[in-house]
Amino acid sequence: MTQHDPLRPVRDLSRRRLLLGGAAVGAGALLTACTSNDTGDGSGGNEQVKAADSSANPNSAPGQKVVIGFSAPAADHGWLAAITKNAEAQAKVFSDVEFKTVAAGADAAAQRAALSTLISQKPNVIVMLPHDGKELNASGLEAMKAGIPVVNLDRAFPDALAYRLQIKGDNYGMGVAAGRYIGEQMKAKGITNPIIGEIAGMDELELTKERSAGFAAELAVLGFKVANRRAARFTADTGQAEASQLLRALPKMDALWNHDDDQGIGVLAAVKQANRSEFIMVGGAGSLAAIQAIAADNSVLKATVTYSPSMASSAISLARLIGQGKGMSDLVELQVPKEITLASETITKENASAYTKLGF
Amino acid sequence: MTDDKRPDEQVQAAGPTAVDNPDAVDAPDGVDSPNGTGPAGDPPPLVTPPADTVPGEVVLRLTDVVKTFPGVRALDGVQLEVRAGEVHCLLGQNGAGKSTLIKILSGAHQPDSGQVEWLGEAVSFGNPQAAMKAGIATIYQELDLVEDLSVGENAFLGHEPKQFGFVRRGYMARRTREILARLGHPEIPPRRMVRTLPSAGKQIVSMARALSHEARLIIMDEPSAVLAHDEVGNLFRIIRELTAQGIAVIYISHRMEEIREIGDRVTVLKDGRTTAANLPARTTPTRDLVSRMTGRTIEYVFPDRPADAPAGDELLQVRQLAREGEFADVSLSVHAGEIVGIAGLVGSGRSELLETIFGARRASSGTVSMAGRQVRPGSVGAAVRAGMGMAPEERKSQALLLGEPVYRNVTLATFTRWARLGFTDAGRERAEANEVADRLELRPRDVRRPVRTLSGGNQQKVVVGRWLLGDTKLLLLDEPTRGVDVGARAELYQVIRALAARGVGVLLVSSEVPEVLGLADRVLVMREGRVVHEAPAGELDEDTVLDLVMAGSLMEGAPA
Amino acid sequence: MTERTETAAPAAAAPPADRPTPVSPAPAGAPAHKGAGAPGNGNGRWSGDAGESFRRNLGLVGVLVVLIIIGIITRPDLYGDMNWVGDNIMSILTLASVVGVVTVGMTFVIIGGGIDLSVGAIVALAGVWSTTVATQSYGAGGMIFTAIVVAVCVGLVNGFLISYGRLVPFIATLAMLVAARGLAAEISDKQTQVSNNATINGIASNDILGIPVLVYILAGVVAAGWVLLNRTTFGRRTVAVGGNPEAARLAGINVRRHSMLLYALSGLCCGIAAIMLTAQANSAQAAMANLYELDAIAAAIIGGTLLSGGRGTIVGSLLGVIIFATITNLFAINGLSTEAQNMVKGGIIVAAVLVQQFRFKSLTQLLARNKLSSTN
Repeated sequence: MTQHDPLRPVRDLSRRRLLLGGAAVGAGALLTACTSNDTGDGSGGNEQVKAADSSANPNSAPGQKVVIGFSAPAADHGWLAAITKNAEAQAKVFSDVEFKTVAAGADAAAQRAALSTLISQKPNVIVMLPHDGKELNASGLEAMKAGIPVVNLDRAFPDALAYRLQIKGDNYGMGVAAGRYIGEQMKAKGITNPIIGEIAGMDELELTKERSAGFAAELAVLGFKVANRRAARFTADTGQAEASQLLRALPKMDALWNHDDDQGIGVLAAVKQANRSEFIMVGGAGSLAAIQAIAADNSVLKATVTYSPSMASSAISLARLIGQGKGMSDLVELQVPKEITLASETITKENASAYTKLGF
Repeated sequence: MTDDKRPDEQVQAAGPTAVDNPDAVDAPDGVDSPNGTGPAGDPPPLVTPPADTVPGEVVLRLTDVVKTFPGVRALDGVQLEVRAGEVHCLLGQNGAGKSTLIKILSGAHQPDSGQVEWLGEAVSFGNPQAAMKAGIATIYQELDLVEDLSVGENAFLGHEPKQFGFVRRGYMARRTREILARLGHPEIPPRRMVRTLPSAGKQIVSMARALSHEARLIIMDEPSAVLAHDEVGNLFRIIRELTAQGIAVIYISHRMEEIREIGDRVTVLKDGRTTAANLPARTTPTRDLVSRMTGRTIEYVFPDRPADAPAGDELLQVRQLAREGEFADVSLSVHAGEIVGIAGLVGSGRSELLETIFGARRASSGTVSMAGRQVRPGSVGAAVRAGMGMAPEERKSQALLLGEPVYRNVTLATFTRWARLGFTDAGRERAEANEVADRLELRPRDVRRPVRTLSGGNQQKVVVGRWLLGDTKLLLLDEPTRGVDVGARAELYQVIRALAARGVGVLLVSSEVPEVLGLADRVLVMREGRVVHEAPAGELDEDTVLDLVMAGSLMEGAPA
Repeated sequence: MTERTETAAPAAAAPPADRPTPVSPAPAGAPAHKGAGAPGNGNGRWSGDAGESFRRNLGLVGVLVVLIIIGIITRPDLYGDMNWVGDNIMSILTLASVVGVVTVGMTFVIIGGGIDLSVGAIVALAGVWSTTVATQSYGAGGMIFTAIVVAVCVGLVNGFLISYGRLVPFIATLAMLVAARGLAAEISDKQTQVSNNATINGIASNDILGIPVLVYILAGVVAAGWVLLNRTTFGRRTVAVGGNPEAARLAGINVRRHSMLLYALSGLCCGIAAIMLTAQANSAQAAMANLYELDAIAAAIIGGTLLSGGRGTIVGSLLGVIIFATITNLFAINGLSTEAQNMVKGGIIVAAVLVQQFRFKSLTQLLARNKLSSTN
């Protein structure tokens, strides 16, 4: 089953007409058919990969074979799904990479167990997105001790010895970027005392706190503050539920930041259901749907601040370089750096077209 | 029909219903009691305590105890005086307040007003532990044992012998063994799971628990109800030993003959009040006791049988019915308008037989037919459609929705009949239930009351009444008068006979032989899963039946 | 029954002097009417447990009123605007609508002596199944059909496992919770599936006479549930099967088939809820309707449904759901955190159960006892 792209026009109608005939046979056939998300174009979704173009970058030339072990939670979220997909797709680009993925299970303990198995198989490099950085610190240490460099994706280990490379997004920076964009827009509109709402993600996660802290800090610089904040759970239905209440609490609003574009589907639905349009909305993470909505400029969503799952693709590329002992060709250093933090970029109508390929 | 397999066993009825307890110590024969008015006749007591006046000091005295529940004044001024070393019998119809009184004594309830004096001091037990600690132990009708703990753990539940926080298991087992030996049951292993014991064994464990507390007063709520005949004898022997040690016993039973035999004094409750206190247990005429309980002077009154034998068509035909390990090769028939009684001990397979006929259990072989048509086995629905109805043995757990109103319980098997397009017709149901309530003289009469607020006898009327609606042709009654007071019994008997007179066939199971003999037209005797005798009720007497029931049982070879 | 008659011929062994003093003779009133005429208990007060349920529901309405008063006190600015108040009531009812529909099914299952932990997962599975590209191509009708058929089938599987497979409801539906979410994740490939169907999405955004369509659906399901429980043979069987399965069986009710149907009914409610939730969120995903099982069970319990079965009311459950939605709303309009809101919800569940256990009567008894012991 390939990725379903919600906003792409449905093309393969003929095939479904055929299925309609089959449905007459019985609901069972229909229901089975209804599990299909195949858009029929064969390519599936849009993985964010960097082509292996060795003429542009000598590092892309096939080299020593590298076995990369990979582990990321299989949570039901677009962003996490994109992480795994991107990693897989990027690995496929390199003929010298063997990609070994292990299921991360439902929680930190399960992932720890899966990682021990992976470590015993001695891959050259391990790329992992831990359920929780603190809880999987020990697994990082264990791998490093076994001589396997660890690339930590997104959720940092507290112990510097537990990883060779850490590549992550900038949660605090996201909040700052969202705050800055809202500040600029308010200034442009001449609103001096704006009413600002915030729909956060899961409150128990560190990253949610960082995002909110960055947002609040940047707004404070401008002399603004958040009037009401609700925490959803990164799902569209909770986004809708929390937004519907937030809209009720703030009968008039000037700006709204929603941390996550996936739950943003629900937030936008709630806005539509409440018939509200007097404010601007900023998204988070940078999903394809959000980018396209921004480009179309037909809703309150005017911008989104990125936290791109493309980091998984980069992590695989860098893991390969680490495995081959190479450095990043644009840098003077002969080895890959230890920490890379992606900047959070702001996507607006003006630059949306450039980001479409990075949307997930 | 297998008529009388062992005719030679009918001979020589042994002693009456009384104790077959060889080691019971016979006290010198005292005053003979006047014969009761029961049809079976009260048996002359074999053992008589020394005198009517008990010398012991008063250990418990209740004065004007009142207890109300929402909608019910359960106790309305109860007096009671219990002396050390006596067996004080508590008599009263169901709903007279005996259970509430027990719960107050055991600390489960607190009185609203009135005084409870224990060993000369006014007390109020806030909880059962407090009562236990004070020396009052209660053995409930529904045994309150933890099935998955061992005998010893149950006996010492809540006050396990401890050392450094650890249970002294060895010591506990030893003490339990001592207590069990004292109770005459050294063969019960203290480490055995209670679940695996038969009811009689469980009762012994309950008693062991009371003794483990060094109780000075033991309350026994219908202890004989779950016991087979020979076990009752053992129970009485234990009670005598306990009283000889100065322990007082409050004994509750519906069986007059037991009260005559074991009791010293009797207190009678009616409608939550003491109507008579401290009557001599052996000498007070039954008629007198019954009148104080019921306001009437009659005891068991069985309706007259129709003069000529019922000549209805054959209704139920059971052929070679068997169920692995429970009963085998049972063939019987019930005619329209006939009452057929099955006599047998608990464990003789009689209840299982009834449930199998009703489809609640699946027979391993044999057939059940109604009016010539075979009934689909193992399906209650099919049995009901064929015209059967059943009042099971355990009213509360098998027959009633206690929280639901009376009328819904009455119409439980028939409400679909008056429903239209799946919509129930509550008005019609209430009307039908009202009619049943009138016919059965249900009290209280309001059919919208929750069933749980009714007394046992009236609850039983609700269960029987359920099958008066619709077109029940055959009624299966399992212990219809268990836990039902004397007054309500007579009414139930009338109802059953009236049903038969209208052409309903009745198959009745009862542990009480007089009931089977007095009510049924024809009697089947069951023993160890087989029908061992069949005869018209008029040709049998209690002794004969008892002999048949007992022979070959656990008492095999013992003098009956 | 007549009054006690002293026997004229007492036995010789009991001479009159020995005769115990009959303490407090039988009351003049015929005993037949005893009990019915007990104090503080007029006739008709014993109409089943209806009176009790009514009192409990009145208590829940009281809680609602208190919550609204708190809202008025804390946000007088908002409550001063009557338009806002009207919108807010609709907002609360809309928020309650999806869980409300699920709770109606849950109430039936619990009254019938079972429990359904898989409702949230069924909603997610039905929602995901009905929003695949393939299903969406059949239009709104196809989506609704799919959601309902899928959910009812899953409910039937639950019921079959429990009734005929003899699995404990807790285990069977827990397994279904895991499996259904797994299947939903598999079908959706863990993606959020956007619903592009205007009719479906319109269910959540359209009003009729100023009342959201979702609220009509909730009202319809609640009304149907009430009628089903209180006026039909199905409802009667549900109470019987939950109250005393053995008695129901011995009265000729097919207990197993009925339990199975109860889970199918719960599934049906989940299917309806799935469409509602999909409409609200304009999308479906495997993680949607997270922990709805707990919300539904909690609402049913504070509504007075007995977890052991045999007793419960649809109105009580509805009030339970609305109370939870009102708490969420109250916390939102005051800008308070979700954590505090969850703690209050937990507190209300405990309080409701406590109130059920120790009713007013027991409390007065408790006080009386304390007084008694202090005087002693």
